[in-house]
Amino acid sequence: MIRGLIAVAWLACAAGAAHACGEQLLGVRQTAENQHYVVAYTTTPQPIVVGRHFVVDFVVCPRAGAGTPQSVRVDANMPAHRHGMNYRAGVTSAGPGAYRAEGLLFHMPGRWDLTFDVVSGSTTERLASALQIE
Amino acid sequence: MSAAGPPSPPHGRPKAGWQFPCSVRPHGGGGAKRRFGGNVPALAIFLLAIPVALAEQPALVPFTDAQVKAILALGPWPPPLPTDPSNRVSGKPAAIAFGERLFGDASLSRPGTVACNTCHRPERAFADGLPRAQALARGDRNTPSLVNLAGQRWYGWDGAHDSLWAQSLRPMLDPKEMGSDFAHVAARVRKDPQLRAGYVTAFGRDPPEDDEVVAVDASKALAAYLETLATGRTQFDEFRDALARGDRDAAAKYPLLAQRGLAIFVGSGNCTACHGGPRFTNGEFHDVGIPFFAEPGRVDPGRHGGIGKLSVSRYNLLGPFNDDASRATATSTRHVALDHRNYGEFKVPSLRNVARTAPYMHNGSLATLREVVRHYSNLDEDRLHADGEQIVKPLHLDKYDVDALEAFLNTI
Repeated sequence: MIRGLIAVAWLACAAGAAHACGEQLLGVRQTAENQHYVVAYTTTPQPIVVGRHFVVDFVVCPRAGAGTPQSVRVDANMPAHRHGMNYRAGVTSAGPGAYRAEGLLFHMPGRWDLTFDVVSGSTTERLASALQIE
Repeated sequence: MSAAGPPSPPHGRPKAGWQFPCSVRPHGGGGAKRRFGGNVPALAIFLLAIPVALAEQPALVPFTDAQVKAILALGPWPPPLPTDPSNRVSGKPAAIAFGERLFGDASLSRPGTVACNTCHRPERAFADGLPRAQALARGDRNTPSLVNLAGQRWYGWDGAHDSLWAQSLRPMLDPKEMGSDFAHVAARVRKDPQLRAGYVTAFGRDPPEDDEVVAVDASKALAAYLETLATGRTQFDEFRDALARGDRDAAAKYPLLAQRGLAIFVGSGNCTACHGGPRFTNGEFHDVGIPFFAEPGRVDPGRHGGIGKLSVSRYNLLGPFNDDASRATATSTRHVALDHRNYGEFKVPSLRNVARTAPYMHNGSLATLREVVRHYSNLDEDRLHADGEQIVKPLHLDKYDVDALEAFLNTI
């Protein structure tokens, strides 16, 4: 019973963390999550247009007990085609926990996985968000 | 008919009349091929019924919603003609006129025998019809057509240039093409009365003393001219627009065989993964299984070499000759990635006007559109990078499919 309550409380906190993360972002907010971090992001333009560069503004929110992010890398790939972008995103800080990634471009329609590699200490955790690009 | 929905019968026609004519098979999720044999009377009745059926049935393939969406994304055409912020004379009539004059001027080449239009012949859609370019010497690659170049991200088979003006500068300096140099080009512009007048009108000043500046300006005038070379509307565009506005009767004027080829192109062929958008290209680079040996023992590195050249070029958009002070035009150059898989990748060419630009592929190794279609049908996957992307796969087309794709390509 107690374990169940703890689990419910953890899930509620997790959902709350995801909900609250990145509230300062403008536009349609999407998230990528795992057990340690929530990344909330928006893109410009929204929606992403095939063949045009876009910008990702994002916020990394550590869950309870997770390490503070020291750096973040952003990339993307098409799982079905086994290739990534032809461009390397440049990430700059935009305030505490907030970042901007520039230079991304999806050169094909289809499913892309936008990935955020959160580096904390000696560990790197990858969070992914699936996007269907038309 | 809804542009986004499946075709629906017009008033007064029975729904059954909207089934496929026998020669048009559904494709990609549309069902299995019909096979005939054994039942001769039934076949005879069927064959006798064909002319009647063809006469009564609307000539429109029932594209799926996804196919219609993909078809609409191949237009509209023509798109607005963009000007290039990195080129201060882009779109200016005086520069366009000066660029056209330069384009046909063989005196810009070292021996005075080769002009831009020696290889980029207007009557051949600004290509030359040869497998590999032949100017002062034979090149390694096919001469690309110069139409619909405005607004592209990369130029050349290897994308070594990020602007049309930088790409226009290269042939003047290439020993195999025009074999010239800055001093020669600048001297011609300063001394030839017509060229000098053209420069003054286009740039609002006399040619400066700096040879490099004069030559780069000449390339910018050439680019201004090249930006105006665009293909007109085609049978496909009429079909696409009819589909967009739901005009079934107008859409049905598009040849059935071409429609069938289009269904493969946007469906099972997955051609729009690379040849998408109104230009029929994603503007990027892929390995499609064409050998990349320029000659025995010598490799053409393709995009890998192109990125290398771009990164060290003084004439890239990060350099001092970009007229866009904000450098917003340099985003692709700033972020382009160099990977091992770029080896042997070449630019995806636009397919507009493709029927007029034979031979095909980066090395001109395929003489006809039919050979190109067969290449994709019988693709040798062993020629692709083992660790590369998995986009192209053999299409295993039958003769009718080949006919259909070829018919479609002839209408773009």
